[in-house]
Amino acid sequence: MGRVSPAGSLPLAGVRVLDFTHVLAGPFATRMLGDMGADVVKVNSAARPGNTPVSAYYVMWNRNKRALALDMSRDEAKAICRRLCERADVVIDNFSAGVLDRWGVGYESVREANPGVTYVAMSGMGERGPWSSFVTYAPTVHALAGITALVGVPGREDIGIGFSYNDHLSGLHGAVAVLAALEARRRTGRGQRVELSQFEVGAQFVAPALLDYFANRRVAEASANDLPYDVAAPHGCYPCAGDDRWVAIAVMDDAHWASLRAVMGDPEWAREARYATAAGRAADRRALGERVAAWTRTLDAYDVQARCQSAGVPAGVVQTGADLAADRQLAVNDFLTPIAEPHPALGQTYADRLPLHFARTPITEYRRARVLGEDSAEV
Amino acid sequence: MTVPDTEGALAGVRVVDLLDERGIYGGKMLADLGADVIRVEPASGDPLRQRGPLSATGDSLWYAYYASNRRFVTLDATTDGGRTALAALCGSADVVLDAGALAAAGVDEGALLRDHPALVLVSLSSFGREGPWAEYLAPDLVAAALGGVAATTGDTDTPPLRGFGEMTFAVPGGYVAIAALAALRHARGTGEGQRVDLNVHETLVSCLEHVLMWLWYHERLPMALGPVLPRRGSLHWSDAYEVMNARDGAIMVTITPDPQRLLAWLVEEGAQQDLLDERYLSPSFAGARPMTGRFMEVLEDWVATKEVAPFFFESQARHHPFGWVLPPDHLAANPHLSERDWWVEHPLPGGGGVRGPGAPYHFSETPWTAPGAPRPVAAEGDDDPAAVLREIGWDA
Repeated sequence: MGRVSPAGSLPLAGVRVLDFTHVLAGPFATRMLGDMGADVVKVNSAARPGNTPVSAYYVMWNRNKRALALDMSRDEAKAICRRLCERADVVIDNFSAGVLDRWGVGYESVREANPGVTYVAMSGMGERGPWSSFVTYAPTVHALAGITALVGVPGREDIGIGFSYNDHLSGLHGAVAVLAALEARRRTGRGQRVELSQFEVGAQFVAPALLDYFANRRVAEASANDLPYDVAAPHGCYPCAGDDRWVAIAVMDDAHWASLRAVMGDPEWAREARYATAAGRAADRRALGERVAAWTRTLDAYDVQARCQSAGVPAGVVQTGADLAADRQLAVNDFLTPIAEPHPALGQTYADRLPLHFARTPITEYRRARVLGEDSAEV
Repeated sequence: MTVPDTEGALAGVRVVDLLDERGIYGGKMLADLGADVIRVEPASGDPLRQRGPLSATGDSLWYAYYASNRRFVTLDATTDGGRTALAALCGSADVVLDAGALAAAGVDEGALLRDHPALVLVSLSSFGREGPWAEYLAPDLVAAALGGVAATTGDTDTPPLRGFGEMTFAVPGGYVAIAALAALRHARGTGEGQRVDLNVHETLVSCLEHVLMWLWYHERLPMALGPVLPRRGSLHWSDAYEVMNARDGAIMVTITPDPQRLLAWLVEEGAQQDLLDERYLSPSFAGARPMTGRFMEVLEDWVATKEVAPFFFESQARHHPFGWVLPPDHLAANPHLSERDWWVEHPLPGGGGVRGPGAPYHFSETPWTAPGAPRPVAAEGDDDPAAVLREIGWDA
């Protein structure tokens, strides 16, 4: 216990993580810990076939971990599991409440043998409260937490954020919880249990709307790309030449507007007095947006980006995954990178690097996701 | 003044927070976990103090939330004295969180790290220090566009969309906290501090769920037609989750994780239409694409007959992960959050306070810190380094 990383090694070298997480939120948290040098042992219950380690989705979130397969319906497996928990610095799961208790590795029993353990439970709704038994995936949490209602276009049916945003944010919070608890253990010598509620993580992100509601009784609504609380226009995504190509332009102040006017060739409509102030532009934002769109519509999106940015106007192409693959800025750090060792089932796999560039302890190694039980003997 | 008495997980960790809106959430995470976090601002005040929404008395609710649990020091970093005081403050910290303020003030970061070998300097930028876009400006919408967020959000009849509020910048914020704590752990163990660089662009690209999976593995995915999945409203990449309209509200409905159990519910209500047809009865969900599409259509018809609240509660009682689409006023009255005593009061500088979100995580031994009363600000224009450090209790 209490191992520290030797000089020059990765920042979390020596930290043992026993990982019972599945799907995205938990595996993303432990992936980051593994990237930073923690020894993450991922326990796949052989009795849970839905969580298949050879799927592309699994491979995305489980690099830099070792894999142990246990059939938790068997007593031998439970005994192994208990022994591992006794030696772990961190035990982490995102099951619904109670699953690990049934396996005999609930917090109270682990703590008895391993008082320094950091035990992080990342359930959907948290353990107390009338909705604690509710089952959730990220789209469920987005709906309940106000995110779906607030990301969209006014007067239209609900859209919401287009990917499992809250799983990633729960993963980031899970990693922060682990690291904070380890710092507390360094100071106090004691371990502890952390309960993380993915619903509470999600509800934080509509904080401005919630504070506004409590303070002013205003109920926020979806506002497309307009900023709900600040006056900025034009501020949106505008169509460009090509199939479904768009550029985002964000005029945050009058100086941006003056520069954008110049980039657009100072058309007569842009010189109208009402557009000279942010309030005037915002009051006429719809017509203004159409005029900006008329300008961008025939232009290449990257060309608009370059012309705006070189004039000091915030602008950027709405990049798809294919654009990210060709993104020269991401190439600076070789951010999207192939993994050297072929995967037994998928062949070539890839990694998006941990986006943290430690000057003294750089992360250079990305080991492929392991197949079911690949490291069982070793562990 | 003394260091605030706290029992948070990060009690005693000294942090200087020079972040702007791109990373301020990371500073908040450390502060709410009990670190002693000093925000430095010019005499004219942090421009973030003006961000909406505002209270009736003109206080920024945004700032009350995102600048929680900080102490504030006013420095004029454009003067030699102010610059020296800023460098001294950073040198007395365990962790400095920066987003360009040090360079703008002319503080020599290399010298700072040399003079304080255990110091952790987390340095956030929009795109990194090198590369073709290094100087680009990227407020929220532009960051979301370039980082792949916007292309994935919206529908065929809408433009690409940004997230609400600070959803985009919460991502680099979370990474700022991770960078700080991981490097701090290394420094505690070895005496070896370091600089950690991160940029908003890479952090956003790392949090796009299926987008890179589509790019890299689309040839292996039964539902992928190419490297890019176009935006398509609320329909999840798996085709298996979508927001549907009940009679009096919207609900996110999914056939995951157990389509057969959901089908049994439909049959119970006589709402299965043709789903029992043999061509849909595939043993596995993954290989059952035609069934997924038809199943979602049948669900839409069925959901349209329902009253949303009782339907939501019944779905959850049957362990289906459906989600009632709640607007913020409903969320504000949510019985689960109330029962968990989740809400906390956020004090406002002009007096009084406003209710807002509480802790995302609950530590059994080291409590999360609810926002405290606004903390005193060091005297304006006090550029004497020793005085500043004495003032905040970091002189020892």
